[in-house]
This record gives sequence, C-alpha cells and structure tokens, in this order.
Amino acid sequence: VNARRLAGIFVLLSATPACAHTVIGIGGFPGGLLHPILVPAHLFSLLALGLLISQQRERVIASVSFIAALVIGLIALTFAVGETAAPSVMLANTALAGVMVAAAWTPPKPVVWLLAAITGGMLALDSPPDAVTIEEGNLMLVGTALGACATLVAVVAGASLLRRPWQRLGVRIAGSWIAASALLVLALELR
Amino acid sequence: MKGLAPATRAVGRIAALLATACAAGPAVAHTGEGLTGGFFGGFTHPIFGPDHVVAMVAVGLWGAFLRAPAIWLLPVVFPLVMAAGGVLGILGVPLPGVEYGIATSAVVLGLMVALSARPPIWVAAVIVGAFAIFHGHAHGAELPPGADAMAYSAGFVIATGLLHLTGIAFGLGTCWPAGRLAVRAAGGLIALAGLAFLSRLP
Repeated sequence: VNARRLAGIFVLLSATPACAHTVIGIGGFPGGLLHPILVPAHLFSLLALGLLISQQRERVIASVSFIAALVIGLIALTFAVGETAAPSVMLANTALAGVMVAAAWTPPKPVVWLLAAITGGMLALDSPPDAVTIEEGNLMLVGTALGACATLVAVVAGASLLRRPWQRLGVRIAGSWIAASALLVLALELR
Repeated sequence: MKGLAPATRAVGRIAALLATACAAGPAVAHTGEGLTGGFFGGFTHPIFGPDHVVAMVAVGLWGAFLRAPAIWLLPVVFPLVMAAGGVLGILGVPLPGVEYGIATSAVVLGLMVALSARPPIWVAAVIVGAFAIFHGHAHGAELPPGADAMAYSAGFVIATGLLHLTGIAFGLGTCWPAGRLAVRAAGGLIALAGLAFLSRLP
C-alpha cells in the first residue's frame, strides 16, 4: 500500500505543469493557492524542506518556524517590498536541504528550524501577487500562505509514512535529485 | 524476485516507481518556449545524447555488480557530483578534454561491467565521480538561458537518474548466470560504443 502511495505522490508531482510566477487564467485566492505548487522552484523548496523535516524526530517546531516566517514574509510584501535576493537564497537553501536529505543527516535542531524559516521567508518574498486590485492581491497572498502550508504538511505527512529501508532510500534519491537541480539553477542565477 | 536480496528488490521497486512517475507526462513550462525549455527539454536532453545514455546505464549496471552499498550509493551521489560539474560548466570554468572524458567514461565503465570488476567502493566512487564531473560540465554548459531553469534542471537530473535506475534494474539480472552473461555482454557493447565515440573525436 505504501508503495502505491509513493507512486501516486510521485506521479502527481511529476505531472504538475511548470509555470512561472503567474497561474495563467487563475487569479485571486485560487491563483495564490496554486502558486507554491505550480512554480517549480517553490515546489522543490517545499519538497526538500518537507523531506528533511520528515527525517527528523522533532517536526512541529520546524513546521511552525516555516509558517511563521512565511506569514511575516507575506505581510512584508503588503508593504511593497522591492526586489530581493529571495530566489537565489531559496535555491541555496533548497540545495542544502536536499543534500541533508540525501545524506539522511540529522543536524542540530536549530539548523532545521533555521532552514525552515529561511524557506518560508524566501518563498513569501518570491511570491509577489500579480493582481490588479489590492483586494485581489491580498487574497492571492492568503492563498499562497495556505497553499504553501498545505503542501509542506502534505509532504511531511506523506514522507513520514515511508519507513521501510527502500522507501527511505527513495526519499534520499529524491533529495539528491532536488539538490542537484537546485545547484544547477543557482549557478545559472549567479552566472 | 524471490531469489533476490532485499537491497536489490528495493532498488527494483524504486526503479519501477520512479519510472512510473516520469511516465506521467512532461510538465510543460512557459508555453511557446518549445523543446529547449522546461521539464520536457531537460528530460529529453540527456536521453538524446547516446554517449551520455550508455555511460549512465553503465553506472547502473556496475552498481548492480558492486552490490550494496554501491547499488544505492550511486544514484544518491552521482547526481550531486554531476551537478558540481554542471556548475563548473555553467560558470564557464574550463575543463580540458570534456568530450574525451565523456567518451572514455563509456569505455572504462563498460569495461568494468564486462570484466565484472569489483574494486573497493572508494575506487569505484572516484572513477564514477570523475566521469560525473565531465558529463555534468558538458551538460551544464549547454543549459539554455531564459528557459524555466528549475523545471529544465529537474527534468535533466531525473532523466539521468532514471538512466541509472534502468541500468540497475537490468543489472538485477546478475542474480542468475544467464543474466550475468547478458549484463557483462551489455558492458562490452557499451565499451565498444565508447570506442566508437572516441574514434569520431578530432
């Protein structure tokens, strides 16, 4: 049953269309809700963090760190924060989390909390709403918050069910692939 | 699968799962960018390079010969080392003889499989890692600017990983005498293909 679950998760994730920072034809709350799932860099960041948290014994504080930083970042966006280095920082963070997942390493707890907070904050700052009105923009931000939190919780919960050795190996391989992808894109950004 | 060790069964399952995942269809990014961008472009990039394909499959085959922990170490470590090479390529750091390195990788890795070589794990890791840098460098230098880089890179890395897992899945045949012969013959063919690649280089 777990193998089927894992296959289902991978199929769903790999079938996700990769779009840029606008969800074509979808605005407002639904657009924000889908944003973290449909932007590859955000999705991979959430996947890496979710897999990393799932490998730790302590999961609650890391998740709360992510949510708190996400909310703070989204509130900051409403104050018209200009362009930031969020995409590059998020990629570096994703690569680091992916390497930790691949190594199945259990770092000191504060390291995971910090990574979670950075992911949340950077994901928020890299999600400026593409909206005409302030109301629609705010709805998008709320949607982004819920979408990102739901995605992270789903990944953590799903990956936590993978307890067999071969399943954990699959998680490590996924972490390795995510880290490799993030490293390549980070290099492209820094070029 | 009854006669297989748990580790080999595990790799088989993971190979099947990941292959299923990627059979779900490409994620098309930024409509209008064509095949050069997005997940599909990245996914097809290594698959359409025969030198890359044979070397990656050979890595998987060799991993199957080397057994645990190499069989699971390779698909975890190789993408990361390859990405390091890719970063060098993207940043324009010169690496002499990249094409020779790639063609030689097919020869060496094919021979390792054909000869059923079982060196210490660190020796195998150094050999595979060195070649991973060549492959990564070549592909990193070819990453198209302006495309959806994350989707492209993910497609590229996943395709490479699936080639490994394909090799590992085929390599599971080493549990049977006829399978061992088939895998070693495949290694020989890969080495010959590598020689053909080398002969075409200036």
